[in-house]
Amino acid sequence: MEEKLREELIKLFESKLSKPMQMYLETCSRCGICTPACHAYASMPQAKYTPAYRAEVVRRIFKKYFKLQGKIAPALGAAKVLDENTLDELYEAAYSCTGCRRCMVYCPFGIDTQQIMSIAKLLLIGANAEPELLTMLADVSVSKGEGIEDMKESFMQGLKRLEDQVLEKWKMEAGEMEAGETPIPIDVEGADLLYVALAGAHSIIPAAAVFNAAGEKWTLSFFEAVNFGAFVGDPTKTKLILDRIVNEANRLKVKEVCICECGTAFRVMKQMSGSQPFEVSSITDVHAKYIREGKIKLDKSKLNLPVTYHDPCQIARNGGVIDAPRYVLQQLGADYRELSADPKYNWCCGGGGGLVAMGDETHDFRMKSAKVKADQVQQTEAKILATACENCHAQLSDISKHYNMDVEVKYLSSMVADALIQ
Amino acid sequence: MDTIYYLVLVPMIYLAFFVFSVGTIIRLINIWRKPKFPTTLQIYPEKKPSWLWTLFDTFLLNSARRHNPVLWFFLMVFHFCFLLLIIGHLELIKDFRILQIIEHEIFLGKGFIGLILSISLIFFLFRRFVSPTKDLSVPEDYYLLILLFLAVIFGSEMDWARTLYGYEEMGVEDYRGYLMSLFLLKPDISFVDAPGHSFMLVLHVFFANLFLMFFPFSKIIHSFLSLPLNKLRRG
Amino acid sequence: MSDEINVDKVMDLKGMPCPMPIVKVSKGIKDVEVGQVIQAISTDPGSLTDFPAWARTSGNEILKTEQTEEEFVFYIKRTA
Repeated sequence: MEEKLREELIKLFESKLSKPMQMYLETCSRCGICTPACHAYASMPQAKYTPAYRAEVVRRIFKKYFKLQGKIAPALGAAKVLDENTLDELYEAAYSCTGCRRCMVYCPFGIDTQQIMSIAKLLLIGANAEPELLTMLADVSVSKGEGIEDMKESFMQGLKRLEDQVLEKWKMEAGEMEAGETPIPIDVEGADLLYVALAGAHSIIPAAAVFNAAGEKWTLSFFEAVNFGAFVGDPTKTKLILDRIVNEANRLKVKEVCICECGTAFRVMKQMSGSQPFEVSSITDVHAKYIREGKIKLDKSKLNLPVTYHDPCQIARNGGVIDAPRYVLQQLGADYRELSADPKYNWCCGGGGGLVAMGDETHDFRMKSAKVKADQVQQTEAKILATACENCHAQLSDISKHYNMDVEVKYLSSMVADALIQ
Repeated sequence: MDTIYYLVLVPMIYLAFFVFSVGTIIRLINIWRKPKFPTTLQIYPEKKPSWLWTLFDTFLLNSARRHNPVLWFFLMVFHFCFLLLIIGHLELIKDFRILQIIEHEIFLGKGFIGLILSISLIFFLFRRFVSPTKDLSVPEDYYLLILLFLAVIFGSEMDWARTLYGYEEMGVEDYRGYLMSLFLLKPDISFVDAPGHSFMLVLHVFFANLFLMFFPFSKIIHSFLSLPLNKLRRG
Repeated sequence: MSDEINVDKVMDLKGMPCPMPIVKVSKGIKDVEVGQVIQAISTDPGSLTDFPAWARTSGNEILKTEQTEEEFVFYIKRTA
């Protein structure tokens, strides 16, 4: 590796050294208590899949360039020079970690492996060694935002095609609709709620039906919720993708920004948007609120099969939305079974951190590392596996195919929309 | 030989304490000066009051108890005994009324503390020779345990000598004389140069000095960082 | 309809949720020579904005977009 590149990478590393990060890097005593916490290790017991080992890959570089110990006696802490080999190790560590933070619950100090892996991801970007696909997706996403004026037309056209399907789920009487109102309102200034969806019908239709049924004054965002910048670990792109939603929300003066079923999008919006004049909520929270306030009524007789719910890591353990989905399922009349007695110990689906978006490239690893997840689901004997995250949904669908599981993977929001009583 | 005794028992102690305190302070200041993280790093569901749970996690090693009870047992015993040892050493400098609220002999535990520490250290060391902990370990981990073990075993030997087979040449008063002289910057090792056991003392102090000097550059800094990190997790 | 455009490779992306269509196309385009054309058929309405944005960032060219009742058809020329 050229000296100049190495220096740049070390600068990038330094840019990540916040107070907590410095402490995470200094503290690990390599006690190994985190070892069984990782789904990858639990499914494939190899040392490289233990959280402490992954973090140590980054920590060794830290010791080399930022610690006196690594400068005086590098052998003591096995400090490592940053070179091509180390980059390979960083790749392996960062892209076999889904950032679920289950290990953080095990660690006696509470070290956040996802944070440490964010250094690995940033170094890989700096060395042009990150997964091309994720950068491509982040660039496309950024570009869509920049060209939003040109694309509004085709976006609206695409939406028009969905309106009938929204009306199928929830009929709006002509009288109910005020002038200019449509089943999928967009760009409505003064609306109460801005719904940020994914660029796909499944994320818009059911949500629109429920909003309309609840009589919500809502408007759909021009932007997609998913933050590919966060997947690839690029802070600049993450912020670009986040900020345009924040700006749109402020321009439309909404009181609430509701994020669709996407774990990353929710956590980034909820925790990184700073202090804003609007609240950030997940669509599951909003649905639970509608039911509680009697704004929507659900048919309790529709779910005849046992149901379990997969807590998306970024929404539950890392985002705090835990009670709402359980309440919604109860109101759906579900024969509900918990996957994990304590939701903070739920196994990751194995698809987070951008792994699902990388598609076939990661399929083999995703299936093998999700063995524990498959077992966990099968133990509940549930026939319906609900979840509230696009990534988890895609991964769980792959798992159920791969392990021949007799279970149907469903979006919780779709289940709510399907059970609406007119 | 006398020169070596003197070097270990006087200048090296000063050096060790200097490196330990200055090194630790600089390291903590360095961390303190880093920028704040812009958002929360907590784990949900949260329990209130979070500071109380933070103390619980930090001092009772809650997550270790849940996920590795055997290791937790040794960790608790080890850390608790280590605390008692610190108290014991403080009392070797002078009498602290407050520490004698529960009246006890100087060096609690009748020699068992040292024994328990040694056993715990052997346990910690041996589990580092078994996968998967072995694969995680770096040389630092072994050296620290070996250093501590040596410091503890020679230190305990002095205690055992007094309690187990009635060795009376070097007692609490002698150590007090010596340590107080160090403290007052008028070092005098004549208190502790009795034949036989002064050799143990020199070895004990030597390894303890090494440990102290290693402290600020090692993972033992977790003794200061565990609390703030646990607070971050509890939110 | 494709009379005017010579298609060298057809990619069926029907039923795939966003962002899989552009993931597939970004790989598929490497199988054709510069100057050749891919016909990509998708059902996801997100494709309507995804494809132009992808073309812009990757430096490829969308020659034409067709919409039928159920599908979106993109003609993409590899230019980079």
